[in-house]
Amino acid sequence: MDSSVPLFDFAAVWSSRTLLLEGFGIAMFCATAAIILAMIIGLLIALMRLSNSRFLRGFAFVYTQLFRGVPLYVLVIWVYFGLAIVADINLPKIPAGIITLALLNSGYLSETFRSGILAVNIGQSEAAAAIGLTKRQIKRYIVLPQAFRIVLAPSGNQFVDAIKDTAILSIIGVPELMRMAQQQADLFYRPFEFYTTAGILYFIAVMGVTKLFSFIEKKMNRIGFTNGSQKVANVGEYI
Amino acid sequence: MNQNSSDYLLEIKSVSKSFGELHVLKDVNLNIAKGEVVCIIGPSGSGKSTLLRCINFISPPDSGEIVFDKVSWRSYRSKFNVLANFRYEKKLPALRAEIGMVFQHFNVFPHMTTLENVSLGLQKVRKMKKDKAKEVAAQSLEQVGLSDKLQVYPDQLSGGQKQRVAIARALALNPKVMLFDEVTSALDPELVSGILDEIRRLVREGMTMIIVTHEMKFAFQVAHRIVFMDQGKIVQVGTPEEIRNTQEPRAKAFLSSILE
Ligand SMILES: Nc1ncnc2c1ncn2[C@@H]1O[C@H](COP(=O)(O)OP(=O)(O)OP(=O)(O)O)[C@@H](O)[C@H]1O
Ligand SMILES: [Mg+2]
Repeated sequence: MDSSVPLFDFAAVWSSRTLLLEGFGIAMFCATAAIILAMIIGLLIALMRLSNSRFLRGFAFVYTQLFRGVPLYVLVIWVYFGLAIVADINLPKIPAGIITLALLNSGYLSETFRSGILAVNIGQSEAAAAIGLTKRQIKRYIVLPQAFRIVLAPSGNQFVDAIKDTAILSIIGVPELMRMAQQQADLFYRPFEFYTTAGILYFIAVMGVTKLFSFIEKKMNRIGFTNGSQKVANVGEYI
Repeated sequence: MNQNSSDYLLEIKSVSKSFGELHVLKDVNLNIAKGEVVCIIGPSGSGKSTLLRCINFISPPDSGEIVFDKVSWRSYRSKFNVLANFRYEKKLPALRAEIGMVFQHFNVFPHMTTLENVSLGLQKVRKMKKDKAKEVAAQSLEQVGLSDKLQVYPDQLSGGQKQRVAIARALALNPKVMLFDEVTSALDPELVSGILDEIRRLVREGMTMIIVTHEMKFAFQVAHRIVFMDQGKIVQVGTPEEIRNTQEPRAKAFLSSILE
């Protein structure tokens, strides 16, 4: 290597900071939007899997298996190019990326939510039924709030995964952090510096999310229950 | 729902229930008059809890009928008619709201304060406004001696206090009958008598009650009638005096084993 070229040079990174931060912002936006969508869909799928209807249970099972089973790489191609070919739906890049991540994560979260709901002691639902609450009220006021506490930590982990997974969205051209880093690295021939910087930004985001979730968890512990999850009981018959 | 001309508040008619191969209740019949206190005793696994849970359909009977306040209730489940299942399930809460139940393991709601535990049913089942519900809930908690714990979460309460919350939660709804399933079995010994005193208070107030208990002395004190169950059947029903002097072999064996 030419001795006049310094071994590490982050000057190029600094000069591209606006682009990198924009990419970082887009990555965080995609991950956050996707995880919120995934939580909503995941909850619905979990409730379907626990419902009385065979049809809904079957649908939810297939849904979960499908989106947990397909690699993200393939899924994003399906959503972006596949939908355009098959259904003539041309999604812009960022929405396509968000939907892809939401589908994938909803598959995982539905399983997390399902086990969280089942982990709420069956005696809770029985006591709620005994005072005359309807099935819907039991879910809303008794089971889901307690299940929420149980799934908080695993949901945080899922969020962390989603942040790192945004990097894959670069393959359809979403201008997120990894794509920006890649472009700038190629431009300046400084791959090590740019990718390391990207890595550090992901790391900071992950730390932030982890902190946020443990903060929420602490807060919930303070307002009451530390052991929302008791032993896993058989599903009550009255359900 | 059929009209029925009897004077009983609650009639259990030919109730049977199995869990798979295990016949837990075999054609159980029992009538309970208004104001009556019935204690159910019997060995472990004889079906006492299951019988109580059949009364409010928390564990619905396979066959038989519950007549409560002149209205007949039966289990219903259609394989095909989803709508009918739905309509049936919509009706059950109305029955349960009239039947208070207290469990061995309290089952208080850990994510709600004491006050919220009790006011939830008032708001959602009795459709009271929030303020009114809190007021009634506070009164109910005062009756069980917890006025100073209204804003406390259950994990800061003793077992006895949790059970008082559970009792207040049931009583607040003003039920017509109370079911108690071994409500002192999970308590430290020094807390048992306090809960039994709460039940005695209800006896004095004339509450109709069905009490499953292993506290024999208590059962023989408060019961108008005692029911002895064994292997899914009611073997004998009688006044405390009759049961104490029973010649029925299984009841006799059970009592002598437990009174030793
Ligand atoms: N959900 C269930 N699934 C399978 N078997 C059950 C279930 N609930 C109860 N049983 C069985 O039914 C039988 C009667 O149970 P039950 O709880 O009614 O007895 P019990 O008289 O209340 O006993 P204990 O005094 O120990 O509380 C037992 O053999 C029990 O194992
Ligand atoms: Mg029992």
